[in-house]
Amino acid sequence: MLVVEHLTKVYEDGTIALKDVNFTVEDGEFLVIIGLSGSGKSTLLRCINRLIQPTEGRILWNGVDITQANDAEMRRIRREIGMIFQHFNLVERSSVLTNVLTGRLGYLPSWWSLVNFFPQSEKRRAMQALERVGIADKAHNRADALSGGQKQRVGIARALMQDPKIILADEPVASLDPVLAHSILGYLEKLNQEHDITVLCSLHYLDLVQRYATKVIGLRDGRVVYEGTRENIRNITDEEFKHIYGQEAQRLSVGG
Amino acid sequence: MKDGRQTQHKAWLQALLSLLVPGLGQAVGGAISRGFYIFLTEAVLSGLAVFAAAQRPRYPDYGLSFHAYLQLLGASAALVIFLLALYWLARRVSLRSEFAKTAAGPTFAALSALIAVLVAPRMVDTVLAPEEQKKLFALTALFTAMVVAAIWAWNIYDAAQVRGKAHAPSLTPFYLLLIVGIITLGARIVQINPDKAIREYKDTGVILSRIVWPWKVAFDYKASQLVAEAKVQAPCPPGATPPPVNQPQEGKPWVVVTPTCGELSKRDTKGKLTFGTQLTIRGGGFQPGKKVHILWENPIGNAFTPRGVGPTEIVVGPDGTFSTQLYIPDVTIPSMAQGAQIHTLRVVQRGTAKFTGKLSKAMKLALEKMLESIMMGLMATAAGILLSVPLSFLAARNLMHNIHTTTEGFVGGVLGLVGGAYAGKRLADVLTPLVGGLEKAPVLTFTIYVVLVLGLAIGAYRLLSRALAQAGERLHPTLSLSIGILGMALIGGGVGYALGIGYAHGILGITRGAEAAQAMAHSSGMFGAALGAALAAFWAGRLGANGKIPIGQFIYAAVRLLLNIGRSIEPLIWAIMGVIWVGPGAFAGFIALTIHSVAALGKLYSEAIESIDPGPIEALQATGATRLQTIVYAVVPQVLPPFTAFTLYRWDINVRMSTIIGLVGGGGIGFLLIQWIHQFQYEQAGLAVWLITITVATLDFISANIREKMV
Repeated sequence: MLVVEHLTKVYEDGTIALKDVNFTVEDGEFLVIIGLSGSGKSTLLRCINRLIQPTEGRILWNGVDITQANDAEMRRIRREIGMIFQHFNLVERSSVLTNVLTGRLGYLPSWWSLVNFFPQSEKRRAMQALERVGIADKAHNRADALSGGQKQRVGIARALMQDPKIILADEPVASLDPVLAHSILGYLEKLNQEHDITVLCSLHYLDLVQRYATKVIGLRDGRVVYEGTRENIRNITDEEFKHIYGQEAQRLSVGG
Repeated sequence: MKDGRQTQHKAWLQALLSLLVPGLGQAVGGAISRGFYIFLTEAVLSGLAVFAAAQRPRYPDYGLSFHAYLQLLGASAALVIFLLALYWLARRVSLRSEFAKTAAGPTFAALSALIAVLVAPRMVDTVLAPEEQKKLFALTALFTAMVVAAIWAWNIYDAAQVRGKAHAPSLTPFYLLLIVGIITLGARIVQINPDKAIREYKDTGVILSRIVWPWKVAFDYKASQLVAEAKVQAPCPPGATPPPVNQPQEGKPWVVVTPTCGELSKRDTKGKLTFGTQLTIRGGGFQPGKKVHILWENPIGNAFTPRGVGPTEIVVGPDGTFSTQLYIPDVTIPSMAQGAQIHTLRVVQRGTAKFTGKLSKAMKLALEKMLESIMMGLMATAAGILLSVPLSFLAARNLMHNIHTTTEGFVGGVLGLVGGAYAGKRLADVLTPLVGGLEKAPVLTFTIYVVLVLGLAIGAYRLLSRALAQAGERLHPTLSLSIGILGMALIGGGVGYALGIGYAHGILGITRGAEAAQAMAHSSGMFGAALGAALAAFWAGRLGANGKIPIGQFIYAAVRLLLNIGRSIEPLIWAIMGVIWVGPGAFAGFIALTIHSVAALGKLYSEAIESIDPGPIEALQATGATRLQTIVYAVVPQVLPPFTAFTLYRWDINVRMSTIIGLVGGGGIGFLLIQWIHQFQYEQAGLAVWLITITVATLDFISANIREKMV
């Protein structure tokens, strides 16, 4: 269970990215965070695995306060939290297999990396992860030779290497064709339902949200302005919509 | 209307002000920085003009008086104003014709130049007294004076137009004049002198051509020669038995000298020669029509051409014989050689030199040293890579800026570092005598020291910084804050003490002498310690319990500073220090190039690291990867191509530098080159220049090719 309490992030230049954010994520949930660009979605996700250091508040992950963890504890916590990114964040010049293997680094001794060593068992695990996302045949290609959708699948495989209990997905389909969006979110849904991995995902398109979310929170200017279940979001009113996205916003569909 | 008149008045006022002080009118008109720069330009240009126009490198005492310069300036201003008036008139007259209007500018410029050239010498004659004229380079002085005057005139016109910062006329004329002024002055200060270049070439062209095409000395030549010898005894005491007289021989060269015993010529202290015995020399069996040379060999085997005692080059007759007469030359006999000595007269006829196809000694030497240079460049590049790669990561802002430690962790780390280093040193003190110590096994001893000191320091650093950081988190905030403050005070005190001592010796020692500095060192150190402790404690207090210290930024700044220093000192200067350190030779050059390579590559590498995509770093951090793992898997793959390109580029530079680093004693072919130049062996020097050129051009080509393929 993930509990976020009074989370506030003020950047060094004084920008208030998050302001007193509170919510709870039960195990096995598919929580979608919606909101405009700049509403604090990315900051919120990055505070959870402390890629960004929160200014105030607590984040309890199964009872442990992530914000107070020291380096060694943080390493243990982070390897339980997978993350996938809008721009995939692959090492373009490395092979797909290496990219996937790096997902396992949190479990491996630091100095092995000096000689670029991964045990055979990990390589098998990486191949299995690639099979699960359906691109095992590309394992020895360079990452920059892949298409956008394939890259995101490598990103998912990399997260899978961590044996994650939870996956943070920062706008995972925003750089992809709408058709591919369902494919990628489908993988996430499968992981969520079949492997009981909690998913925290930020999304733009409302119909995607309605299709995949079990719970939704809406952010605006760093504050939670909407909280709803799957049922709520399917019947979202124009008023609620404009409350999240502002008065000028129009609903937009990606089709499918 | 009233407004217009006011503007008119203002324009006149500004023009007047700028006439008195350049730039003042513009400043009053609202364009303050414009006015300031105009004033600055005029001041600097006039100052430089007085200095440069009057300086004569060989006679530094000569100097044009400022008064004389002002007169010149006035005359120039008059000329400029006259020309401007002419221009204005021309514009007025030709106003109707478009063509005339466009042509007016260039025509005016050409006319002005012509008038300036024609009038200038007359003007200098009129304005300056002859003795003043001697002191200046007339044209430089005149030109700069004209530029200063022209800018002055333009500045008056400009001032009249300026209405605040936004409304000001074009600066193009100003820049053009400035360029002319700077070029004129620059040419004088650098002493660019085409006359000299042309005049001197007449005498130096021959030498230059020997450097340009030196290939004759690259090979060995074999000269066949015919030789005949005869023995002569000198001096000739009574009762001596002179060597036998030679007999002519068939089929081989011969020489007959009579008598075979005689007295040496003598040269007194004033150089006047008193002849000794005259010898009659006949020879045969030589090639007809060609010269033979007569050499004299003294008893200890030194041969020389006798001077002033008769002909030493004789043309052989058609039958292969010759005859001549020669006084026995003056030969300096060592004082311990008493009595009669046997000398040798040698007749030599050289045939034409034959090309053997073998490399000459000079060429072999040059090739050998060229190889040394190339290797020096290679080794320095290799060492540079090894040392600069770790440094470059410390000098990359994106990797370092978010590394923080808590105050307690910092205290523990520094204490651990110092304590560990001390323990390491003591341990090494005990261990190193076992392997022979610094004298017998310097490298091993040094390595033991480095490994132990660094190893223990880093180990203790990690241990203590972690322990104290964790303690800081667990303990009561007040307690952890007091640990932080106390520890920081201790560190600050230590640093302050060292700085205080350094101040006493380094700064006070300069003004008050070493003894006074020695006496004051302790109190200065204590003062520094107190100050440092107070400042550090204050800082720690402000940071609070578990306060964050941006240790990464400190390291970043320190490494950057080191790299900048290393890079701003040229390899040639490092080489001079290297020669002082390890003596002349390739090793000194290697040290110099390595230091410079480390600094230059460190900067280039760190910039490559700074420009990578941060996404993969973020992704790997999110997986729980350690810093090392993140660097190996997210940073290294991204920086490999630029690193390779920079390394090749540096290799190129290093080989190039290695060829000239020998000029200051750094070994390699440069050492040979400068020796040959000092010995006036220009052909050999030319060989070295050729080899350097070929090598550098080849490497340039290769590395450019590889880089092209890489990127």
